[in-house]
Amino acid sequence: MSAAATETTAGSSPAGTSAAARTARRYGSFALRRTGQALVVIALAYVLVFLVLAAIPGDPISAQLDNPQNGYSEEEKAQIRAFHGLDRPVLVQLLVSLGNALRGELGTSMSTSQPVAAMIGEAIPSTLALAVTALALAILLAAVLGLLSRLLPEGPLNSLVRSLPAAFLSTPNFLIGLVLIQVLAVNLGLFSLVEPESARSTLVAALTLAIPVSAQIAQVFITALDESSGQDYAEVALSRGLPPVQVVLRHLLRPSLLPTVTVVGLVLGEVLGGSLITETIFGRAGVGTVVQKAVSSQDVPVLLAAVVLSATVFVMVNLVIDLLYPLLDPRLRVGKESR
Amino acid sequence: MNPSSALLQVEDLHVSYGPAEVVRGVSFAVGEGRALALIGESGSGKSTIARAVLRLLGSRRARVDGSITVRGREITGLREREFLPLRGRVLGFVPQDPGSSLNPVRSIGAQALEAAALVPGTRSRAQREALVVSALERVGLPEPQRIADSFPHQLSGGQLQRVLIALAILPGPRLLVADEPTSALDVTVQEQILDLLDELRRELGIGVLLITHDLAVAAARADEVVVLQDGSIQEAGPTDSVFTAPRSPYTRALQADVPGLNPDRFAGLRAERDERHPAAGADLQVDVRGISRTFRTREREVRALADVSFTIPRGRTHALVGESGSGKSTAARALLGLETMDAGTLDVGGVEVDPSDPRALRELRRHLQIVHQNPFTSLDPRFTVGRIVREPLDLYRVGDRAAREERAAWALEAVRLPERLRDRRPGALSGGQRQRVAIARALALQPDVLVLDEPTSALDVTVQAGILEVLATLQRDLGLTYLFISHDLGVVRQFADTLTVLRRGEVVESGSVEEVFAVPREEYTRALISSIPAREGVGASA
Repeated sequence: MSAAATETTAGSSPAGTSAAARTARRYGSFALRRTGQALVVIALAYVLVFLVLAAIPGDPISAQLDNPQNGYSEEEKAQIRAFHGLDRPVLVQLLVSLGNALRGELGTSMSTSQPVAAMIGEAIPSTLALAVTALALAILLAAVLGLLSRLLPEGPLNSLVRSLPAAFLSTPNFLIGLVLIQVLAVNLGLFSLVEPESARSTLVAALTLAIPVSAQIAQVFITALDESSGQDYAEVALSRGLPPVQVVLRHLLRPSLLPTVTVVGLVLGEVLGGSLITETIFGRAGVGTVVQKAVSSQDVPVLLAAVVLSATVFVMVNLVIDLLYPLLDPRLRVGKESR
Repeated sequence: MNPSSALLQVEDLHVSYGPAEVVRGVSFAVGEGRALALIGESGSGKSTIARAVLRLLGSRRARVDGSITVRGREITGLREREFLPLRGRVLGFVPQDPGSSLNPVRSIGAQALEAAALVPGTRSRAQREALVVSALERVGLPEPQRIADSFPHQLSGGQLQRVLIALAILPGPRLLVADEPTSALDVTVQEQILDLLDELRRELGIGVLLITHDLAVAAARADEVVVLQDGSIQEAGPTDSVFTAPRSPYTRALQADVPGLNPDRFAGLRAERDERHPAAGADLQVDVRGISRTFRTREREVRALADVSFTIPRGRTHALVGESGSGKSTAARALLGLETMDAGTLDVGGVEVDPSDPRALRELRRHLQIVHQNPFTSLDPRFTVGRIVREPLDLYRVGDRAAREERAAWALEAVRLPERLRDRRPGALSGGQRQRVAIARALALQPDVLVLDEPTSALDVTVQAGILEVLATLQRDLGLTYLFISHDLGVVRQFADTLTVLRRGEVVESGSVEEVFAVPREEYTRALISSIPAREGVGASA
């Protein structure tokens, strides 16, 4: 959403540089504190996921080793276990794994013996393209719906716009995907199913993912716009002779962004989770596929890396949103200046 | 006045929301440089009229009939596009609540420049900035650049209202519609804002349509008044004649309920009280000595109370008077044991209030109850009236179920609420009825002391008069002791025996009401007293 559009006539602020510098310094320390907290959350997520995976009985290596058909000797079994570090106590394994992760070494897959970093690294571009496109589309769609709900005069068209989010939300993701494939690929031939990584395919897959996500953003955005339109300052701005469209763009938009940005952070989980399903429907080889295989084979290092990766993305996006709040709303700028 | 010279002429105006007609055939005219006040209580249609003139009713829901002409031009039939140039440039608007009338996320400067950009012929940014600075200076804001750099939450209510007036006069309108422009402000600030509006009217020849529920404000500030009830005009005419010789019974009743105009309203009840409880007043029910409290945040310290002492004799009313931020609410919270003091002691009925002892506090609150300011938020909307009033009895396990019901019925009768309202919920009651429920709830435990925290400031004058009468009667009959917190000296003079004036946490003056009103020793007290509008008779303007 274009936050910039609201501030085309940004206020004059040459005077009071010392106050501005103080505000900037406070913001700096606030940003540093929040970033520190975010890093702690990621580390805790790593530990938690590690312990949970360690607690689950079974892993592909033990399954292989204990299979009598393979006929490993006890010595060989011990060697292989030692290679994967499985012979040491869980806490030591955790510290070693954490230390390696900090150096960027994510270990080796237990089922394919490939480095985990390489496996995930290969899958990331496809998933990233899908998720980023989907989120961008969702935000765009929500912005259009929100603005239309305010700019269209009251009437059937406006009611239709307002009812779309609920309709989007109640349509399952896979159904949208299948319909889009049927109509756009099979009937119209707009994109090819055999080239799932092409730009057009990515766009259609992202659209599938974006529609329900946009609905959640749009619902919050529309409600926030309605609420700010009922505020006194909207009426007063109108009374000054500001055209209604300008009232929406200059006065209603920015106060409404705060709850909207919050919900964008929350639906990110949905985008990440939804990309797994979407990748399957569209036959894309992304992180989703890697995770799916890792789950079925109980490939602990791959799972650990994948889960921590999504936790990191989640925490980082929410960190950015936290850092945005004070920029969007001056009342949230830490420490009030005196009257 | 010759109608053709009228700036604003409203003729037989009707406004309905769906089937409900809220304005019925209202006519009036405002001339250049004149002030006309629309007076009425909530629901009288006065704000609807203002919004009909400004076309702020919202397109679909309201239906407007009749004629509104501005400088001889009919505006009711105009299309939005044709009406737009009138907004701001001819018809200015000063809103009720300055705290919510500026966009909180944009600087004052950004919003002022936006308003300046709507003025024809302001092409360059420098021109607009000059316009903004001169408008801010015009309304008495000494540092326009600092104000422009501020965000709304960094300014006081009075400063914000000045900013809003500056933005309203910036395009040079001919008429200002001021909708309760001072009701959200402290009394001394209220005077300054009304003075400013008078000044603009005189110097710029702007006509003012003043919407107010405050008869005293209208009496002091308007040339002509229109008294509205349920959407119809009860009385209209020059201010002097309406106030000195009101013809309609409604205006007479309304006038009788204005505290500032009737200082002796409850004198009879209080005389009876003194006869019935001659011994009361001898011993102290509440004794507060030297309480101090400072609130500290990382950024700064705020001294809420500094060495404040006051006493209340049993069966009497003591008023804590002050503007927002004076510390009066903190003192009340201290008495209820809700706030720990840095220093000082509070005794109620000879027992010291100790916020760290929950059991003692529970016992204290059996004898000390509070009535809050806002009856719209202090009652649980899911409870029936009967249950609300019974709740303290349930909490203190007073008697059996039947005894509690009986006590609740007694309390409701004491505040003169009809029996049939017992099964209603707060949503179905008016503001005055709700406040009676809150008083009944406070009475249920049969306490000795009631803390009345601005109990009538959210209510219309006639409703206020009814509530005050109930409270005065209860004191006469039950010998209750009141701590009455108020910013309204007119009410204090009617209702209290003694008072303490607080300012920024310090005692400015204290003594009996008669003495302080007769010879206020401090400048601040004099300012507060003279801010009771139209206290010496009526018709201050000519």
